[in-house]
Amino acid sequence: MARRKFATLKSFLNYIGVEGDRTIFTWVSASEGDRWAQVIKGATEKIRALGPANKLVKKIG
Amino acid sequence: MENIETKLREEASRLLLEKKVDVIIGYEKGTLPLTATPCFITKPEETEKLVWNNFCTQNLAKYVHDLITQHKNSQKRVKPEDRKKKIIGVVARGCTTRSLIIHLQERQCGRDEVYIIGVPCDGYVDGKGLKAAISGADIVDGSIDGGQIKMKTSDGDKTVDLKDVLADCCKTCRFNNPIISDVMIGSPAPAMNPDAEYEDVREFEGKSTEERWAYFTKEMDKCIRCYACRQACPSCYCPICFVEQSQPQWVGIGEDPSDTQVFQLMRLYHMVGRCVDCGSCVSVCPMGVDLRKFLKKIDKDCFEFFGNRAGSSMEDMPPLGKFDEHHDKGDFVYNP
Repeated sequence: MARRKFATLKSFLNYIGVEGDRTIFTWVSASEGDRWAQVIKGATEKIRALGPANKLVKKIG
Repeated sequence: MENIETKLREEASRLLLEKKVDVIIGYEKGTLPLTATPCFITKPEETEKLVWNNFCTQNLAKYVHDLITQHKNSQKRVKPEDRKKKIIGVVARGCTTRSLIIHLQERQCGRDEVYIIGVPCDGYVDGKGLKAAISGADIVDGSIDGGQIKMKTSDGDKTVDLKDVLADCCKTCRFNNPIISDVMIGSPAPAMNPDAEYEDVREFEGKSTEERWAYFTKEMDKCIRCYACRQACPSCYCPICFVEQSQPQWVGIGEDPSDTQVFQLMRLYHMVGRCVDCGSCVSVCPMGVDLRKFLKKIDKDCFEFFGNRAGSSMEDMPPLGKFDEHHDKGDFVYNP
């Protein structure tokens, strides 16, 4: 079940030290354009507040 | 313990004589003092080799899976009417039977293909812990006597309390007895100290994000990616592991720290509802990576979110295979 996987993944990533707010999960229907915009707006704000992600990132070159 | 060993040998030789099983997977004395190693027994007279003591470390469910897969592959080129069935007997304690339940639930083998010889377990000795307890001296000879390990070492005679050097997973074990078995040997063992099983995890959860990340990176820096943890884990049985896939290549093969972190992260995460806390990965790790700190968190989440302990019941479905709309928490869903 996807939602159970996400619940544990979010909790586990937070546990190892990747900020919990970075893992964002929700449902948006194709007909919910307004909600989609709100989700993206909210997600962008949250992530902007956390700053750039440098954990689990591979630097190439 | 002696008594269990004798009964175990009798039972094993009876099973082989009556042709109820084709092979028995158990433990024999290891090549080094105070160790035991998995063995495969096919003749009744070889059953004298079998041992059952506090040095039997590895989870034998892994070998059951390996043998069954090997046998199934060998039968692929045989005409269907000529195919033979192979029945595997396994000496199983609590965690081994939990792994076998996971295999059965994941349709890896049929219940009639394994014959489970259940044994009670009072924990196994953590080899690295024992070595540390005698300050790194080499063990020349030793024995267990009434809850104490008496050893002759390169540093003179030493005595250690058995309960001090048990593996971490055994100290807080609640499954000391087999959950399913075809035959049970010996009387049930009492549970250890299950109330304290999540203490380490709770303490770690209380630290700050940066502290947790620092610990994770510190532990993962030790990892040399020998994949011993994966090889020893009964729940890691994919024919091709994601780390070895090249199309697409999920994880780089270089020495970049993020590759190691991602390998460990993904392997750990695949254990949701599947890690039985047998400690096999921890015991085989040559670098002493604290994998259990992370695995136990997955176990804790799985129990707290879904009320499921991996492989604790034959009837329960695996937690990631079902959904309970009344009890599952929804607070991880983002609602702007």
